Amino acid sequence: MNSQPQIQGRNSLSLMLICLIMLMAGCSTDKDASAGQDGSKKATIIHSLPNETMDPHNEWIALRAGVTETLVRLNERMEVAPWLASSWEAKDELTWSFTLREGITFHDGTKLDAAAAKASFERGIADSGALAAGLRLASIEASGQELIFKTKEPHPAFPTELVHPTASIISVTAEKEAGKEAFNKAPVGTGPFKVVQFIPGQEISLERYEGYWDGIAKLNTVKFQFNADANVRTLAFQSKQADIVYHLAPEALAAIEADPQLAVQSVTSLRTHYFTYNPKSSNVADVKVRKAIDMLIDRDTIVQNIMLGHALPANGPFNPNLPFGNQGEYQKLNQSEALRLLESAGYKPNADGKLTKNGQPLVLKLVAFSGINPELPLIPLIVQSEAAKAGIAIEIVSAEFPDVYILDHSDWDLSTSSYLTSPRGDGGSFLNAAYLPGGSSNAANVQVNGLEPVLKELNATGEVEKRNQLTREAVRIINEAKVHSFIINPNILVGVNSRITDWSPGAEEFYIVTNQLDVK
Amino acid sequence: MLKHAATRLLQLMLMLVVLSMITFILMKLAPGDPVRTILKADEGAVTEEDQREVREKLGLDMPLYQQYGVWLAGVAQLDLGKSYTTNRDVWHLLIERLPATVRLMAGSVLALIIIALPLGMLAAKFQNRLPDHISRMFALLGSSMPSFWLGLLLIYLFSYKLNWLPMMGGGTIAHLILPSITLGFVMAPEYIRLLRAGLLDTLSQEYIRAARARGIAEWRILFRHALQAALLPVVSIMGMSMGALMAGSVVTESLFGWPGLGSMAMEAITQRNYPVIQGYILLTGLFIGLANWMSDIGLGLLDPRIRHGKGQGL
Repeated sequence: MNSQPQIQGRNSLSLMLICLIMLMAGCSTDKDASAGQDGSKKATIIHSLPNETMDPHNEWIALRAGVTETLVRLNERMEVAPWLASSWEAKDELTWSFTLREGITFHDGTKLDAAAAKASFERGIADSGALAAGLRLASIEASGQELIFKTKEPHPAFPTELVHPTASIISVTAEKEAGKEAFNKAPVGTGPFKVVQFIPGQEISLERYEGYWDGIAKLNTVKFQFNADANVRTLAFQSKQADIVYHLAPEALAAIEADPQLAVQSVTSLRTHYFTYNPKSSNVADVKVRKAIDMLIDRDTIVQNIMLGHALPANGPFNPNLPFGNQGEYQKLNQSEALRLLESAGYKPNADGKLTKNGQPLVLKLVAFSGINPELPLIPLIVQSEAAKAGIAIEIVSAEFPDVYILDHSDWDLSTSSYLTSPRGDGGSFLNAAYLPGGSSNAANVQVNGLEPVLKELNATGEVEKRNQLTREAVRIINEAKVHSFIINPNILVGVNSRITDWSPGAEEFYIVTNQLDVK
Repeated sequence: MLKHAATRLLQLMLMLVVLSMITFILMKLAPGDPVRTILKADEGAVTEEDQREVREKLGLDMPLYQQYGVWLAGVAQLDLGKSYTTNRDVWHLLIERLPATVRLMAGSVLALIIIALPLGMLAAKFQNRLPDHISRMFALLGSSMPSFWLGLLLIYLFSYKLNWLPMMGGGTIAHLILPSITLGFVMAPEYIRLLRAGLLDTLSQEYIRAARARGIAEWRILFRHALQAALLPVVSIMGMSMGALMAGSVVTESLFGWPGLGSMAMEAITQRNYPVIQGYILLTGLFIGLANWMSDIGLGLLDPRIRHGKGQGL
């Protein structure tokens, strides 16, 4: 027997195995193993949204990781407060003047002045369609520490737009030196931490910036990781591999709470889940029918059974903790009153207990949102069950993008919607987007009688208290018309290890890594 | 031989064009609008005018065939376009993520070999006895367990309970172990059964009987004579399994926060980030095509009949 081919065959197999092992090992680096062993303070944070880039003008992560900052920020009461800018004022309805603080430097040591901030905004507007659309700038002027913005149209809520993470101030000089590709992996901002390494989709290694203007960070290093799976994040928290973990799996909370070293902070988010009624549907054209359906939404059960207590029942589009937020009592389940309203709308129960009008049973088609939050597909089931008890049949159709379904179909009666209604501490942008024709959150083309003059006044008002009052008035009109049924404000569940001090999560999810964040 | 290689290359290119065309059409037919993602419409008021401008800038207002033509012309110049969400070159994104996925795939193939080889051999050696039953049970478990579920179980046991291995991230060999086992385990059953069947078939051949008659030890026969022949169909299937491995990596990478192509593709699909999806499909298509080609070469290395052009081999 010729043994040479056999030997070659075996050698080939061994060669393949060696190649596989080399391939696995070749690119590996054993880093970070000793971090913290020198007595330095460090913490690990896990967030749910993986990031491909740290481009401060296209993603939130640079601000979240404490690398960049904005001219103004939201304070604990969700009001716009000074940050890199110490003060600001509207010179006229198109002109805003911001005065920058003295003594602030970027991570590369260059000074923050109005010219640097102007260059940053110019770069942002060129690179980010969202930022350009939000700011609507005609020009920017820089003089010393004074930055003057001229908008294309009156923009009374302009300061709130500057709160957004994509309005971060960066060093354009540093970008020119490093090149865009490298800069977007390690942006240079004014924040308390600078980027040591960024692995897209995986993690950011941060190290404190010794020249930070607002007091040097208490931690030496922070590891900011991403994982899209709630179960894995929760296990990472339970095994203490991470100190702060965002968006925990609610079903694991009982086990977490049993561990004295772990705590869960449940913060009402700025998101609202609601139903939109189809303005073209004859089934829900009568406001009495819409009000009756609103009464058949068992918000308490949704909060307790689906959200396990981690949500607030909603009676308007805005988080109730906001200065312009929802006030008063939310609508509780009320079968008898719903039936009375439906009867006054002409519906009568037939022999089978089904509600009919002119011999036609009341059958509604509900578009259920299958994406983003796990509770969204479950909420329609609770409503379907209560409606069936009242004699209304609800057919549920599932859609990944309800807004797209709405644009393409007219054969629906109500649809689930979910929006961040006040991401920057102001309700104006949502009210415009959701209730004016052509608004980006108004796929159903909902219109409310009497609302437009209020929105017009809101859009022309800069004074915060007056804006809050007008926002509340707008919500009252919207609730009266019942074009939407607001359901809940879901909570953000954040796991915090007891070794973490001087830190709590905010509803806005902007300021995660801070200079105050510390460990015991 | 050269003509054969050129024909295979041409077939591969044709396959890639057809693949990209089908993906392009399916992507556009699926509901969803990338313009809303680009303008972050969920976070603020965006006018129809803003949306129209972006649509025009990206050429999304053009007829479908024109959009595809523009994309294809870019590909011909090695320009895969820019990511809608990050503005980065798709080419850069893919190159950046590729090593992690290749590492994971290599790890998975190694795990697959470590699992399938002994189980397949034991099952054949002890046909219808306890090792065969165990191997069958193992194969049943592997084929019926979804990878995300197995991944979670492994994380629970080895990361949470025993704290032996990191549960997410990358950078070290330790990070690679759990995702590799997850992918390898799920793919192992068909290889275990294939190896068992191949070995049983080979062990009944005359030359094996002759070897036994000469008094060669049974384990020596199994390792030195039977295994080599039984591996041929396994290597042949391996090339075709690259597609399944790539598909499996999408879920596994997301679960373990592994920064490869799969997790990037998952995110791109959610955001309707068309250039990234197209780039991913093109690259994976190319990768799978090349893997099949390499499996042909591998067969040649294992089977002297193929290598020396004598007989058909398998």
